[in-house]
Amino acid sequence: MTVPFPIPDPDFEPTRPFFAGAARGELRIPRCRRCDRFQWYPPERCRACGSSQLEWVRTSGRGTLFSFAVVRRPLLKEFAPLVPFATGLVALAEDPAVRLVTRFVDCDLEQLRPDLPVRAVFRPLGYPQIAEWQTLVPFFTLA
Amino acid sequence: MSEVPDWGHAEPIERLDGEVAIVGVGEGDHSKASGRTHQEIAAQAIARALDDAGLEPADVDGLLYSGGMGAEFGEKEFHAHFGTSHRILAAPRGGGMVWAATAPAVAAEWLRRGEARHIVNVFAVSWATQRGEMIGGPGHFHAHERMKRHLEVPYGWFPQPVYFATIARRHMHQYGTRPEQLGAIAVACRRHANLHPGAVMREKTLTLEEYLARPMLFDPLRMEDCCLISDGGGAYVMSSFERARDLRPPLVVVEGVGDGRSHADVYWAEQGDFTATPQVFSAPAAFAMAGIRPRDVDVLALYDPFTIVALMQIEDMGFCAKGEGGAFVEGTALHFDGGKLPYNTHGGLLSHAYVLGISHVVELVRQLRGEAAAQVPGAEIAVYGGYTGAMASTLVLRRE
Repeated sequence: MTVPFPIPDPDFEPTRPFFAGAARGELRIPRCRRCDRFQWYPPERCRACGSSQLEWVRTSGRGTLFSFAVVRRPLLKEFAPLVPFATGLVALAEDPAVRLVTRFVDCDLEQLRPDLPVRAVFRPLGYPQIAEWQTLVPFFTLA
Repeated sequence: MSEVPDWGHAEPIERLDGEVAIVGVGEGDHSKASGRTHQEIAAQAIARALDDAGLEPADVDGLLYSGGMGAEFGEKEFHAHFGTSHRILAAPRGGGMVWAATAPAVAAEWLRRGEARHIVNVFAVSWATQRGEMIGGPGHFHAHERMKRHLEVPYGWFPQPVYFATIARRHMHQYGTRPEQLGAIAVACRRHANLHPGAVMREKTLTLEEYLARPMLFDPLRMEDCCLISDGGGAYVMSSFERARDLRPPLVVVEGVGDGRSHADVYWAEQGDFTATPQVFSAPAAFAMAGIRPRDVDVLALYDPFTIVALMQIEDMGFCAKGEGGAFVEGTALHFDGGKLPYNTHGGLLSHAYVLGISHVVELVRQLRGEAAAQVPGAEIAVYGGYTGAMASTLVLRRE
């Protein structure tokens, strides 16, 4: 038995609003209604004040490239058609402590540097081997 | 004294007043895929550790082992392999990684309460054998963890080489760390492994020039920055200091244990300081318990799945200021013969074997006894640092 490629389930409750937002071209992140702090990864309660009143708000989709790796040797066969690719973290403009994992698209990999401004673009995840999973997700590109 | 960061803490650990001694060490054979089970390897390591201590399997009345990662070896497995049936107090509170450092604190509890006299801590894996099926290896947990499955893996941020390449790039950006500085760590480990009879990479040399010429497969990391995948394991036997006097000299005594925790969850993206480890909390606690400072350490062993993890821990344990680890490790600074901080003198996870830290502790005991292959002359104080992302641990050992 091999590990099946872990395709995201758009109906998985903790991340459902994230994928539902992406389907409309929106980057949505949970924020506490009581203390206004953004939260990531999505928690059940606010990590700062403990409130369960979290609301998924639309963000600007802008941020900075926090850091990245350029993958030249794919460690899963599903990644093979993508190499070389840059994957890493984006610090959200609204709160840089929110770091989103993403892939960087539509840019020369040589141009990527930490702290450069980036913006979200919405594309089908589109793994060639997994034709049935075409849900839109936020990727990032240099702004 | 610099300010203690607020993104984690040290777990309280009752002071060990030199009451726990390590009286025997042993390793299973380390190899690439060998077809052996982890239970066979664990039993071999325990048999050798008991032989080293001059004890019999029937003398073991305490057993600490790993609670996960397909590396379990409890009392049932112990009895099955040694043909014994006596009472053994066993708990999944030991093994490798951070637990290779904290197991002595559990042993101290048991010894104080008189619940055990001779306690084994064991860890073994057969991940090289299992690798072809990607079952139970280091990527397994990460592929199935539900948040990672939704928010990391689909973007290609998987598995560990990619996480740590991202951390290394940020460290380079923030502090000016350079590839040849990471390379110095890999070269020191390889040189030590070339001297170690049990190291998987014993026959394969590596120079800094060769390191720099290798491709960056997980840019900015090369394959040489990454740990091996191995079959192997180790064990050490702990007894009370008083009882240890009757056993094999010289005595190696546990002087300090630290257990640092990040307040963030297990996800690297959430860590309060992306380019630091919870050694920030663990090492000061262990050093205070032992009454030592970083400069007192004669030989250091760090859980080193990637060169950058060693570099961050060297900074976070206070061997140099944060961000200055690159300059600190340059050249031969970490070599056993004349380096200012002899480090992973068996070759570490990079070049000895990927047995998750248990052999690090075995090596330090051998160093303190003067029996190591790459021996640091007159080593008296040895330190192990364990790490798993949101946790780090520290173990201070002293030759009596």
